[in-house]
Amino acid sequence: MKKKFRKLISRTEFYIALVFLALCLLIQLRSGQFFTPNNIVDILSALVVPGIFAVGAFMVIISGGFDVSFPALASLTSFVTTKVLLDAGWQGGVWLPFLIALVLGALLGAFNGLFIGYFELPAMIVTLGSSSFFKGLMQGALNSKQLAVIPVGMRSFGTSALFVAKNVESGLTSRMPTTFLVLAGVLLVTWFLLNRTMFGRGIYAIGGNPVSAHRAGFNVRRTRFLLLVYVGMISALAGLCRVCMMQQMHPTNMLGMEMNVIAGVVLGGTAIIGGAGTLFGCMLGTGLIVLVENSMILIGIPTVWKDAFVGALIVIGTGISAFQVNRARRAGLRNVRKGAAL
Amino acid sequence: MKKTLALLLSLLLMFSCVAALADGYEIVVVPKDESNPWFVRMKTGVDEYAAAHPEDTIYQKGTPEIDATLQYQLVMDLVAQEVDAICVVPVDLASIEPALKAAMDAGIVVIAHEGAALENVDYDIEAFNNELYGAFIMDNLAAAMGEEGLYTTMVADLTNGSHNEWADGGVKRAGEPYPGMTLLADEPRVESHDNGDIAYNVAKELFKKYPDLKGVMGTSSFDAPGIARAIEELGLSGKVFTAGTGMPGDNAALLKSGAVQYLTLWDPALAGQAMVALAQKVLNGEAVAAPLDLGVEGYGALEFKAGSDTVLEGQGWITITAENVDSFGF
Repeated sequence: MKKKFRKLISRTEFYIALVFLALCLLIQLRSGQFFTPNNIVDILSALVVPGIFAVGAFMVIISGGFDVSFPALASLTSFVTTKVLLDAGWQGGVWLPFLIALVLGALLGAFNGLFIGYFELPAMIVTLGSSSFFKGLMQGALNSKQLAVIPVGMRSFGTSALFVAKNVESGLTSRMPTTFLVLAGVLLVTWFLLNRTMFGRGIYAIGGNPVSAHRAGFNVRRTRFLLLVYVGMISALAGLCRVCMMQQMHPTNMLGMEMNVIAGVVLGGTAIIGGAGTLFGCMLGTGLIVLVENSMILIGIPTVWKDAFVGALIVIGTGISAFQVNRARRAGLRNVRKGAAL
Repeated sequence: MKKTLALLLSLLLMFSCVAALADGYEIVVVPKDESNPWFVRMKTGVDEYAAAHPEDTIYQKGTPEIDATLQYQLVMDLVAQEVDAICVVPVDLASIEPALKAAMDAGIVVIAHEGAALENVDYDIEAFNNELYGAFIMDNLAAAMGEEGLYTTMVADLTNGSHNEWADGGVKRAGEPYPGMTLLADEPRVESHDNGDIAYNVAKELFKKYPDLKGVMGTSSFDAPGIARAIEELGLSGKVFTAGTGMPGDNAALLKSGAVQYLTLWDPALAGQAMVALAQKVLNGEAVAAPLDLGVEGYGALEFKAGSDTVLEGQGWITITAENVDSFGF
C-alpha cells in the first residue's frame, strides 16, 4: 500500500490531476457554475479539437521531436476537402469528407515523414518549413477564402449531439457534439498502437535512443515515416471536426494553436527529450489548458490579465512536469548504476 | 506667326472643350480587384449611377487579382488616356502614391476610399466616423434588447484601434438615449482574437457567469456570428441578443434562423457612388464644404475628419436583416 502510494506521488500525472482538481474547485467557488452539467459538456466540447491535435503532438514528442505543422496541415486538408465537396455539390453523408481528409492528411504527413524519417532531419526544422509551405499552398496556390457554407452532411454532423445537457437552475443547454466520438476513437486506436504493437514500442524506443532502437532491431526510418503519416491523418481529422463544429471553414482559424497544444502535452508529463509519457497524462495536460482558457471569465480574471494568467500556468506547470521527469530519469540512472555496482 | 499660333491654340482649346462637353467627363473607378464579391457589389452601384447620369462617361475598371503593382500600372494607363477623374480604392497606400501624383500633375481629379492616409488626393471618402459607427451598432443592439438590460462589448483585441473606438462609441451612445442599458462592470470588454470559435466559447462563459446579461455588442466580423452560435446552442434565442459587424454571405443562415436580428456594415455600392458623385462635384468646380451632400444614401452630410481637410466621413452604415441579406451578393 505504502509502495503504491509512493509510486503514485512520484508520477507527474498525480500532480497535474491535483492542480486540475484545485482549479475545478476554484471555478466552482468563484462562479458556482463549474459542476453544472452544461458547463462540463462545454469544456468537453472545447476539448475535442485541441485533444485530437494533442495526441498527434504527443506521439511526435515521444519519438524525440517536435511537430509544429499540424495546425497548417489541418487547415490545408480541411480547406481542400470542404472546397472540393462544395464545388462538386456533395449532398451525401459525412463519410466522404472524412475519407478525403484522411487521405490528404496521410499524404501531407508522408511529406513530413519523408524528410524526418528517411532524410533524418530534425522534426522541428522540417515542420517549421512545411508549416509555412502548407499555409502558402493554401493562401497562394489555392487562393483560400472563408467558406461560409459547408456541405450539408458535414453541417448536420457538426451540429448533431450525443446528448443535450441542461442546467436545471439557469435553463441553459449545451450540446455534447458527436465529434467527441472522433476524439474517443483516436484515443482508443492510439492507445492500442502505443501499448500493444511493436510499432508503438518502436516510437518509445526511438525517443529514448535512436541508435539503441536501431540495434535492438527497430526500423527507425520506417517507424518515423509511418508515425508522421499517422499524425498527419489524425491532425486532418481534427481540422475537419473543427470545420463541422464551426459550420464554416475559416482558413486561418486554427493557425497558432500549436503552442498551447504542445504546452499541454508537456504539462502532462511527457518528456521533452522523448521516450517517456502517457496518453492519460497528455489528455490531462491538454484538458488543463482547455479548462483554463475557457474559465477565465468564470473565475473572474479581467480580460487584460488573461494571457498573463494562462502563460504563468504554462511556465509553472511545464516547469514542474519537466522537473519531475528529470528527477525520475536521474533516479532511473542511479538504479542502473546501483545495479551495475552490485 | 505668334498670332497664328495663339489662334490655333485657342481654337484647339475651344475644340477640346466642346469635345469634353459633348462626351461629358470620363470618370473611372479603380477597385482593389475585379473578382472580389465586395467590389463586384461596388461595380453594381457604379453602373447604376452611370445609368442615371448619362451626361458623363462613368465606369469601373479593375485588375483581375489583388496586386499593388497591377493597380499602379492600371492607374498609370488611365493617366496616359487622360481621363478626367480617377476614384481609387488602394491596395497598398505607399505603392499607389507615385501614380496618384502623376495623375494630379496631369490635372486629373483623384478621389480615394479607404485611403485616409494618402497624400496625393483631392479627397478621400470614409464610410463613417468610428465613434458614430459604434453608436449605430449600439442602436441596433438596443432595439433588439428592447432598450433595457445588462450588456457588454467584444473586440478582437484590447489593442485593436478601430474596434475599441467602435466599442467606446457604443458605450457612450448607450449612456445617452437608453437609460435602461447598463454596462457589465465586471467584464466591460472581452476579446475574440478575430476568431469565431473563441467568440463562441467566450460568449458561453459570459452567459453562464452572468445570468442577467442580455446583450453583447460585437465589433470584429467574427464576434456577432460567434456569439449568435452560443445563444442558439444555450437555448437563449429571444432572451439574449447580439449585434455587430458581419458580412451578409457568411451570416445568411444565422440571420434567417433568428439567432441574430441585425448585423451592420457599409455598402460598397454606395461608397462607389459617393466617390463618383464627389468627382463630378470637383470637376464641375462646385464648392466642397462640410456638411457635404452627395445625393447618395448615407453620404448626405459628410463632415471632414477632425484635423484633416481631405478626408470626408459619411454615415454610410447599413443594417443587414433576414429580409435584405440575400440582396447584396457578397
